[in-house]
Amino acid sequence: MIERESLEVDVLFVGAGPASLAGALKLRQLINAHNEQSEKTGGKSLGEISICVIEKGREVGAHMCSGAVMDIRVLKELLPNYEELGAPLESEVTEEDVSYLTETGKIKSPIIPPPLNNHGKYVVSLNKLIRWLGPIVEAAGVDIYPEFPGAAVLYDDNNQVIGVQTGDKGIGKDGEPRDNFEPGANLLAKVTVFGEGPRGSLTKKLVEKLKLDQGRNPQVYSTGVKEIWEMPKGRVKPGFVMHSLGYPLPNDTYGGSFIYGMQNDLLDVGLVVGLDYRNPHTDPHKLFQQFKSHPHIAKMLEGGKMLYYGAKTVPMGGYFAQPKYYGDGFCIIGDSASFLNSQKLKGIHLAMQSGVYAAQAIFEALLADKYDDAQLKRYYDLVEGSYIKKELYEVRNFHQAFEKGRIWGLIESGLQYITGGAGVRGDLRDVKAGHEHMQKINGAPDPAPLQADKKLTFDKLTDVYHASVEHSEDQPSHLKILDPNICIERCTKEYGNPCQHFCPAAVYEVEEVNGGRRPKVNFSNCVHCKTCDIMDPYQIIDWVTPEGGGGPNYINT
Amino acid sequence: MKIIVCLKQVPKNDSILRINDAATWIQDRDLTYEINESDAYALEAALQLKEKNGGEVVALSLGPARVQSVIKEALARGADRGLHLEDAAFDNLDAFGAAATIAAAAKSDGFDLLLTGLQSDDHGYAQTGVIAAELLGLPHATIVMDLQTEGSGIKVKRELEAGFFQWVTLPLPGVFTIQSGINTLRYATLKGIMAAKKKEIKKLDAAALGLDAATLAPKQQIKRVYFPQKSKQTQMIEGTGAAAAATLVEKLKNEARVF
Repeated sequence: MIERESLEVDVLFVGAGPASLAGALKLRQLINAHNEQSEKTGGKSLGEISICVIEKGREVGAHMCSGAVMDIRVLKELLPNYEELGAPLESEVTEEDVSYLTETGKIKSPIIPPPLNNHGKYVVSLNKLIRWLGPIVEAAGVDIYPEFPGAAVLYDDNNQVIGVQTGDKGIGKDGEPRDNFEPGANLLAKVTVFGEGPRGSLTKKLVEKLKLDQGRNPQVYSTGVKEIWEMPKGRVKPGFVMHSLGYPLPNDTYGGSFIYGMQNDLLDVGLVVGLDYRNPHTDPHKLFQQFKSHPHIAKMLEGGKMLYYGAKTVPMGGYFAQPKYYGDGFCIIGDSASFLNSQKLKGIHLAMQSGVYAAQAIFEALLADKYDDAQLKRYYDLVEGSYIKKELYEVRNFHQAFEKGRIWGLIESGLQYITGGAGVRGDLRDVKAGHEHMQKINGAPDPAPLQADKKLTFDKLTDVYHASVEHSEDQPSHLKILDPNICIERCTKEYGNPCQHFCPAAVYEVEEVNGGRRPKVNFSNCVHCKTCDIMDPYQIIDWVTPEGGGGPNYINT
Repeated sequence: MKIIVCLKQVPKNDSILRINDAATWIQDRDLTYEINESDAYALEAALQLKEKNGGEVVALSLGPARVQSVIKEALARGADRGLHLEDAAFDNLDAFGAAATIAAAAKSDGFDLLLTGLQSDDHGYAQTGVIAAELLGLPHATIVMDLQTEGSGIKVKRELEAGFFQWVTLPLPGVFTIQSGINTLRYATLKGIMAAKKKEIKKLDAAALGLDAATLAPKQQIKRVYFPQKSKQTQMIEGTGAAAAATLVEKLKNEARVF
């Protein structure tokens, strides 16, 4: 039995993304205002309340990847002097283009469909924003600990969440402690807030254990793959926003592209692919390379140089796929609780807003000194009474409409738009999890590998190099294949080992050893997108946190 | 035993590097930083010496506000306090200027051992520690792999070439540049990080250290920085073994002129 240190804090946030940072900052602001007020009036002060954020990345922002068009309302509310503080907003949206790509052509939509209208929104790099926001939140009096992943949720005997155990450090490849072994600590809190992003590794276990998804639609996801290009001086117009549908995605595959103009001649180029595709050979990274090879896009990128690469998943399930996001001793915020508008593909403001509402509820819980389900339901009530509910409810059936393919999806979602979300079929609650849509290969040969020219198109390893990924090699793999026999005995024949295709970071291979075959997991390439945990058809890949500090070191993504 | 460890903050070794517009160094926009690798081993060596012999470990770093993060990391791992040498006049130092600054700070603080890494991962001069020793008029040893106290002095193991080592005993105070990989780096614990918040980081500028512009003026300049140019090329020779061998000999003789 490993002896672990126990450390007590009042409120613990897991994951230093936009939801947690906004929540932690708001909570600090509320407590400060209350204590100041009570000092004046002689009321009851809350005293010193410690707010702590743990983060698996090497530094705050290292794992942030979202080149985004952002609604900055929550940022404005939290930090009215955000401009003075130098918020790294790239530009207000200046020019918009929505197009349909055929194999060689581009048909520009004569009008910007209302849901895609981004007037008044800002192009941002979430990475830059969070790297900027982290120190501000810290200076306000929140303790942030990078390189400390949450490894396990801690419960008391009544299943009340009482904190998180941080990851062990210094475990060797063989699973044995090394000389510098440092056991993870038990961080105990009155309320634990999970803001781990899509498919959070602790949130997944928490939802399973407490059956928080009962009666909800299964969550469905997309994977976004992108590169940041440096273009010749003056070519990039900051605030330029382009979205496309069509090529290279087949009709039965959900998704589309985005291109955003940033400061300093940087162009953010990416493709989002729904993780409910049929063809097991679907490879989001390869599709993205094909997208860049489209004559129109290739011309746009001519003369540029690829600088950074990133991949992440996005929860698309919407309102009906949200788990119950509060309970005894805990709240779930941001992407972990599916606070994302799947129609507009926008989630940063909702993530931050959910953090803010959780903070409000926790503040009231601190005043009442009660942290149970009934008390924290206040968070849910705040959300339900707000614009978040309205925004999510209007598009509650959006992604489901695309289950039958793009053409039908476009028609049906158009009808939903007119009818306030209901569409022609009413609420769509009979949904399959994304991986259940995958069809068997039925003897289809392996797809031809990508021919990368290393100028416009890149193989996965080259791209991964541009994500500055690093994991200590001397540790057990953090991608657990629960039953490796299935990979060889069933998956090769049934699905052709699709992990080799869907992983955007070349983590999975099937290697031949002594005449036999076995899965090989190059875990040190992992960019922490969780696509494997989501899309594996047998659901036997369990993504757990690696040693603290491992993962990409994203810049500008 | 009082030990000062010099920690340089350098761009992370997996950074995507771009050359600045003047082509005199890498672009400092969009970089993230870490403790110079051999300096981290110097810190660990210092912490282990302190655990054995008692005393104090002082983490010193030279540079703009951002270098405080390496001092904080050292404090979290167990250093007792920090020295941050910061001044606009320190922005463009060469190895001599950096050594003069470090020497002045170390002298004013006092020490038995001054440790640096063997060389920095960015400039790679491998001069700073040695020049500091000269300026302080103290004995020094480079490429140190082990340090053991011996009487009032210290016995160190130096790496020589071709797998040879040398043990030397020096009187203290002295300056030692530490090789990478000589020990196992410890992790900062949550408790250590929390405790570090209460530790002192003292700031010193050029005036406080009594450094004038002439001392700090660079004596060495980088004229141009460029990516290594590819000069190798590969040719595939077709044909049967014998024919290919003949072509190869012909090419080696006439094109590569190796004989």
